[in-house]
Amino acid sequence: MKRVGPIIALAIIGLLIFVLFKAFGNDPHEVPFLLNGKPAPNFKIKRLDTDQEVTLEQFKGRPIVLNFWATWCGPCKAEHPVLEYAWKKYEKDAVFLGIVFEDNEQNTKRFLAENGWSFPQLFDPKSTVAVDYGVSGVPETYFITKEGIIQGKVAAPFSHPMQIDARMKGILQ
Amino acid sequence: MTLALLVSLMLGQGYAPQRQGLDPLEAEKEARVMRLGKQLRCAVCQGVSIADSPASMARAQLDKVRELVSENKSDEEIYAYFIERYGEWVLLQPTTGGLNSVLWLGPLALLGIGLIVIVMQSKKSAVMLPMPQTAAAAEGASPAPTSDDALLAQVRADQEK
Repeated sequence: MKRVGPIIALAIIGLLIFVLFKAFGNDPHEVPFLLNGKPAPNFKIKRLDTDQEVTLEQFKGRPIVLNFWATWCGPCKAEHPVLEYAWKKYEKDAVFLGIVFEDNEQNTKRFLAENGWSFPQLFDPKSTVAVDYGVSGVPETYFITKEGIIQGKVAAPFSHPMQIDARMKGILQ
Repeated sequence: MTLALLVSLMLGQGYAPQRQGLDPLEAEKEARVMRLGKQLRCAVCQGVSIADSPASMARAQLDKVRELVSENKSDEEIYAYFIERYGEWVLLQPTTGGLNSVLWLGPLALLGIGLIVIVMQSKKSAVMLPMPQTAAAAEGASPAPTSDDALLAQVRADQEK
């Protein structure tokens, strides 16, 4: 009975240390991402070139690489050739889609005309699809399995094709 | 400031263009959007709400709030939508339930336990105070040997051997 007090005190101190460690052990600037392993939200937005409506559901059964980007974002422009390379390598195995974030059609079309593009680019006028996916900035690339499950995202620009190769293995299995 | 802007543009860093038209809702709903927006953290800012931030990300998040308000979602449903994606991190005022309750109640519980320990210790000290000397002790009689004394005597006897 005498030892109950210290045990309770130790339990509370332990719990407090655990909570503080959990709170302060993380980078406060890192935005949590909770959609990993969950179904990818569906969307219905237009293609930039044809105005044709595109949904995520229509690609069910194929792995998908979803890239959020903008022309005002330097790193997005820098990774453009890397994504083009990846599309050429994996076009038969996976669907690549670009979703333009917080930009206007004119800027986007001009950039794509100057730099070339191979896979469909979709225009999200209010960027609400990006919020549906828990985007916290651009560029961000999501890897979605053929079952429609999000299998991680890369919240940084790809600077080398090998970075994409490593990620592709996960969704092509 | 101008120099920083020029350098930023030269390095290829740009700014999201202004939208052609933001679509605020009718006054009452827009007021609700702003109230909810004040409680939600902008994903790319330092502790700024999406209602107060000029960042393009905040603009997109606030538009999502508008969309959800237009769909007549309740406040709880709107918070749940953001928590599902960004975790409780997105709330500028953390909830007091779950594990967070430890942070709120833990210090109070520790204070209570501390007080109990102090009271118990002070009671114990009062009991341990030396008793007034008895008549026998006053006459020079040695106090009854304790177990420590017996042990000491044994050690001494062993050393003498």
